[in-house]
Amino acid sequence: MSRWYLSPAENNDIVISSRIRIARNLTGMPFPVRMSAQDRQSLNERVKNAVATINDPAISSLKFIELAKVPKLEIAAMVERHVISADFAAKGENSAILLNEDETVCVMIGEEDHIRIQVVLGGLNLESAYNIAYKIERLLDSALHFAFDERLGYLTACPTNLGTGLRAGVMLHLPILEAENSVANLSESIRKIGFTVRGIYGEGSSSKASMYQISNQITLGIDEKTAIDNLSVITKQIIEQEKQRREAFNKIKLEDIAWRAYGNLKFARVLSSEEMFREVSKIKLGIGMGIIECEETLPMKILIETQPNMLMCRFGNMAPDERDIKRAEMVRAMLK
Amino acid sequence: MMCENCGKNPATTHIHTVINGVVTDKNLCGYCAAAQGLINPAKTSLTDMLISMFGDSLAKTKLSNTTRCSICGATFSDFAETGKAGCANCYKTFYDELLPYLKRVHGSTKHTGSRPERAPLIVRSENKIGQLRKELKELILTENFEEAARVRDEIKELEGKENE
Repeated sequence: MSRWYLSPAENNDIVISSRIRIARNLTGMPFPVRMSAQDRQSLNERVKNAVATINDPAISSLKFIELAKVPKLEIAAMVERHVISADFAAKGENSAILLNEDETVCVMIGEEDHIRIQVVLGGLNLESAYNIAYKIERLLDSALHFAFDERLGYLTACPTNLGTGLRAGVMLHLPILEAENSVANLSESIRKIGFTVRGIYGEGSSSKASMYQISNQITLGIDEKTAIDNLSVITKQIIEQEKQRREAFNKIKLEDIAWRAYGNLKFARVLSSEEMFREVSKIKLGIGMGIIECEETLPMKILIETQPNMLMCRFGNMAPDERDIKRAEMVRAMLK
Repeated sequence: MMCENCGKNPATTHIHTVINGVVTDKNLCGYCAAAQGLINPAKTSLTDMLISMFGDSLAKTKLSNTTRCSICGATFSDFAETGKAGCANCYKTFYDELLPYLKRVHGSTKHTGSRPERAPLIVRSENKIGQLRKELKELILTENFEEAARVRDEIKELEGKENE
């Protein structure tokens, strides 16, 4: 397998990725927010030792990485690739992760909860992502004995995650619904049925490139399968709406928008990340509509790999102005 | 709809004012609304909303409750002020205080999802603890303190086992 944004998937003209996150904690130990540096070390050790006792490829394929040993730029680039959360990256020292080769599985140790198992796959793939995460959860539980209460389910630092500890989310590309000002209405209806709409980098982030994350809010009193099924149903409805609006949109106008964006990206000499986000969104729409013929994963490849820290990991430290020039150069090469 | 002020972000704050019979509507994004002092950005974070949802349960328990979680030392005030538990055991310690709040957040207070494969063991000891707690209450009410102390120790022992 390859990284989530490089693998072609069904429906991925609209559904960019599916993400599952399972929060778990250990007993007899304060939650990360109340942990000392020493506590964090011992948490890492406990997890590391537990992992060593589990003889299953789902676990043995994960690499234990201490973030203190990873260059800061690379950590920031991992946030840009959606491998770890920004909050977790900010913790820096004494944090550790378990990561698989293609970065689709990442277990964050000592984020808001002791353990956060995250699986990100391209396209609408919630069930597969959940199955991978659940298997890892079962295996880790056999060695770590996660905190569980008969009435409240799995115990989490924030009461909003109690119960299943499950956050299931999809990232959607909704350029036409956004252009027609329908996203606000959509968010409101979605909120009423226990789901939330957020920007591309999660809580508190604004939407970029017409991309929105939709995820479940309720974790207590609903089982995992129902939560995931509900999200799938809603997602399919939104896909349908976006598709209908796309079909109804003025064809020649759409072609104009897509090709102009293509031209901009193909010939730009200076390209800010804001402009890149904006134009990539348009060519993604163009590819989805069959206007522009090229690899379907290309827009996301540009969007992820030309972000500031991803660029600097590859080409070394640069000032913002230099980055914009480098970004333009890289995008031109990708569109050749 | 895009923000009327900057035109860059979607309008998420809709402000309807009536001053001397003159109606004005503003549709702004969060940043512009905050910049114009129309909303307090700090109060719109998820954590703050959660904390405010603790509302009355905090007020009721704040003065009287000095119970501390035996594992992490947190009080219910700590829990309510941060919106976060200090450790897994906090949920046992403050279960009763939390219930109304959980009901508001999730609409339910009963887990129905997956469970550990080793769950039966926990069920047994938890039921046992619940039963012992009831016994303890009755013993205290009837002032049978000697027996109450024995039951208390038994509960402690069982809780200790669960936290191992």
